[in-house]
Amino acid sequence: MKPKIYILLTFLLLFLSLQLPAQQQRFPKPEFDSGYEQPDPVTPEPRSGAMEYFDVAVLLAVLSLASYLVIRKRSRQGILWLSVFSMIYFGFYRNGCICSIGGIQNVTLTFFDATYAISVTALLFFLLPLVYALFFGRTFCAGACPLGAIQDLVIIKPLSMPRWLRKTLGIFPYLYLGLAVLYAATGTDFIICRYDPFIGIFRMDAPFHMIVLGIVFLLMGMFIARPYCRFLCPYGVLLNWMSKFSKWHMSITPSKCIQCKLCTTSCPFDAIDFPTEEKVTKSSRYDAKKFIIYAAVIPLWVLIGGFVGSKSHTYLSKAHPDVYLAELLIQHPELKDDPDNIDIQTFLASGKTMDILVEDARLKRKEFYTGSWILGGFIGLVIGLTLLNQVVYRRKQDYTPNRGDCYSCGRCMDYCPVDR
Amino acid sequence: MSITDKIQISKNISLVSGIFCITVSLLLLLNYLQFAKSEPLESKTIEVLVERLKSEPNNDELKEEIRNFDLLVRKAYFNSRWQVKTGAFLLLFGAVVFALGLRSYYSLKAKIEQPVPESENEIFGRILAQKWIIITGSTVIVLALIASFASVDHLDSYKGNEMVAEQVTNDTDEGIEVVDVGKASDNNSLENPFTEETSETHEPVNSEVEAQQESTGSETNNSVTEPKPVSSAGAITAEQINSNYNSFRGPWGNGVSTHKNIPVNWNGASGTNLLWKIEISLPGYNSPVIWGNKVFLSGGNKEVREIYCFDINSGNLLWSKKVENIPGSPAEMPKVSDDTGLAAPSLTTDGKRVFGIFANGDIICFDMNGNRVWGRNLGMPNNHYGHSSSLITWNNKVFVQFDTNSGGKVLALNAENGETVWETKRDCGISWASPVLAVFKGKMQVILTADPIVAGYDTETGEELWKVECMMGEVGPSVTTGEGMVFAANEYARLAAIDPLTATIKWEDDYYLPEVASPVCADGLLIVATSYGILVCYDAKTGDLLWEEDYGTGFYASPVVADNKIYAIDTDGVMHILELSREAKVLGSPKLGEEGFATPAFAEGKILIRGVSGLYCFGNK
Repeated sequence: MKPKIYILLTFLLLFLSLQLPAQQQRFPKPEFDSGYEQPDPVTPEPRSGAMEYFDVAVLLAVLSLASYLVIRKRSRQGILWLSVFSMIYFGFYRNGCICSIGGIQNVTLTFFDATYAISVTALLFFLLPLVYALFFGRTFCAGACPLGAIQDLVIIKPLSMPRWLRKTLGIFPYLYLGLAVLYAATGTDFIICRYDPFIGIFRMDAPFHMIVLGIVFLLMGMFIARPYCRFLCPYGVLLNWMSKFSKWHMSITPSKCIQCKLCTTSCPFDAIDFPTEEKVTKSSRYDAKKFIIYAAVIPLWVLIGGFVGSKSHTYLSKAHPDVYLAELLIQHPELKDDPDNIDIQTFLASGKTMDILVEDARLKRKEFYTGSWILGGFIGLVIGLTLLNQVVYRRKQDYTPNRGDCYSCGRCMDYCPVDR
Repeated sequence: MSITDKIQISKNISLVSGIFCITVSLLLLLNYLQFAKSEPLESKTIEVLVERLKSEPNNDELKEEIRNFDLLVRKAYFNSRWQVKTGAFLLLFGAVVFALGLRSYYSLKAKIEQPVPESENEIFGRILAQKWIIITGSTVIVLALIASFASVDHLDSYKGNEMVAEQVTNDTDEGIEVVDVGKASDNNSLENPFTEETSETHEPVNSEVEAQQESTGSETNNSVTEPKPVSSAGAITAEQINSNYNSFRGPWGNGVSTHKNIPVNWNGASGTNLLWKIEISLPGYNSPVIWGNKVFLSGGNKEVREIYCFDINSGNLLWSKKVENIPGSPAEMPKVSDDTGLAAPSLTTDGKRVFGIFANGDIICFDMNGNRVWGRNLGMPNNHYGHSSSLITWNNKVFVQFDTNSGGKVLALNAENGETVWETKRDCGISWASPVLAVFKGKMQVILTADPIVAGYDTETGEELWKVECMMGEVGPSVTTGEGMVFAANEYARLAAIDPLTATIKWEDDYYLPEVASPVCADGLLIVATSYGILVCYDAKTGDLLWEEDYGTGFYASPVVADNKIYAIDTDGVMHILELSREAKVLGSPKLGEEGFATPAFAEGKILIRGVSGLYCFGNK
């Protein structure tokens, strides 16, 4: 081993050992003769600062290795085993937390809640995959995301989905992203974490309906590859944006495409763009009028979306604990005497007056009005742009991975007969 | 093995594992349905038995039956949990095998596919996509509209004052007298800390007296007013102490200030009600002390220790003096933890002089103009976090609690020259608490808490007047006094209400315990602030829990009482202000704008809070 590695390891050990005294409790937990062990109150257990940075280092290493395996080594096998490692480490070992996808909410809350400060590690988990996507494409989805990995491993007989269905379902990740940001910004909930379908599998413990949801996604994933990634993942929206501008992206062929078409059925995610056909090129001229109309109605989509969004703020805000509690007590004041209603009993014990609770709820609803307006406008914009995109034709001559949609899994590379 | 055999094996493995998965899933589903239906923890049988017990409270057999049944349902519950957990693992294992089997089966059966078997008509696909995007977009909009029209804004129907959240007080047991505590302004307990309830027939204070007391059975509690303590000619008077804020946690170190017109709203970051703020160059966790127009603080690091004097009206630095050239001072500073530091003890002043002590055992005295009067070293305190016991003064004496890992002692130093007037060895371990002064039976006592004793010492002779063994662990919170009792608490130990006249514990509790912040007693209420963010109020006489407020952020600074309000600053720098009453009434939650570890100090119309970066003075503008 080289001296530099010794020094690095020594520093690492020293750093880890320095953290240990801080973790010791002043008084040890009581021990029971029966052998009963106290359960950990939080899942997963909080990590020491050093171990959190260790997780970041693992993510960095996995992203770097995934990018290397995809761009330089062009190894599907390597990517596959790397994703298995990520699923075991970030999924089963780290219990799916800390997670880049959920990081969206932490970042949002940092902007909207002055009392909340995001940890450096959470910020890095959010930013690193995006930075890598900007340079190397969605290598995070290929090798580092445990949610992607568990779905990727159960792909048995993927069915190709028609374009109209892909494009239509492709709106939902934007909707989910918008809702997640709205609920995080208003301090309502972290819905991405709460409704993560695979967290129950990673932790081997979850509410029954979430376990069922996870199993349904995996069963669906046998025939519709990576359904969560493609039609729900809110982080995928951001990665898609970044990857579109990636400097070095995976290519199907290492050299010049010979148009053999062998790769056409290789992608289970329908993320390969085919060369533009002649008749399509001709058709693009007829769609010029449509392009102008669709472009012109985008502001209308935004306005309608914003208006409808603002109208739904009452409904959306009901998820906030203060609004929920205030409305519950206004509707059912008799519940004040229900000793089993923990929420109400906690409120009563707080000494807070009903006036203050209602005032807080009204303020929150006001925040929702603004937030829902923006959310609606955003969804309107997404619908308008997606529609516009259907009449935009880009001339392509070869079979290439779609930079936004491609997960860089490398399956198509194995199908290409061209040597370097 | 031929390819056909491999395909057959893969197929069989997939089939078996698939059946296994379905079986386990069904069993789990059945378990879930059974569990959801029966809810073992809400057993009707137990409810019936408990009801029966109410009518037959002395039926021991019934009690035993309830216990056995309770054990049974709990076992059933945990057994069910175990089954679910084990089932989940089996299902996961089965699913992995199933997925691998199927993958292997399909890959072995795979044939070279025809390139682009049925190429999708792109133009048609695009047209269809446009149609469906419009349909989906419209559906989302329509659904949102339906949701908006279907949802009712119940907040609009609220007319106000229909219901007020009340502290649940109807759980008072029969036979317990509820004492109606009036407002602070209605009595003079805040103004006069010497109003004590004492047992007149009791003699202070040793086990013999206690035995005698038990034999006479006298428990008469009468409210009497202790005579005001008299100091020597020229020394600090009780009136002066009451009208100033001369030590850690104010007059007598008891956490109760007599000052009025204290603001309830400020913001250190935006400057709301901020009269002034000054940066303090050296770090320190000590709290400000005030005499007249002068505010005193200390700070220190390994290189230098200083004492500062500021003008309370302008915040201008009047003087700062280095603590140096102390005879016997160790060459090196002790190793201390970051959350204690080298200048944790607060200063004290008697209006003529100001006294300070530091983690290396240096104790120093300056006059009010910053001229050094005396300085000496008491020996390096053997303290693994750092010495933090503050000083307190009375009758020309400065009292030092010097409880270390090497043993405990309490000293009284002559305020004029620093010479030891008396020194009493204490049978205790280390402590980080500070001394408190109080009068019991006409005798001014300095009261200390440590592991394991809470004890009172005659301020004139140093004689140990009483002690009670009730503490354990690393004692940080100081005692407080009121209602004729001394209240001591520490995390992992207990909260004890001690009658110093009989050296007995009147009541105790171990549910909410402070780690660092000292309790405060005023107006018949005892306030405790925990390091995990809960502020609790007890009835000081009975120990009944009156209210609790969970703020989520812990308290290191001690809660204090001023202007009939409780001021408790959490470590995030949010001051929780509540009315001093038997119900939790929040008056405000102003923010310092930075972390808060030091206990605030008060002057007329002003509150002074030390943050990490400096000292803030707030007042109603």
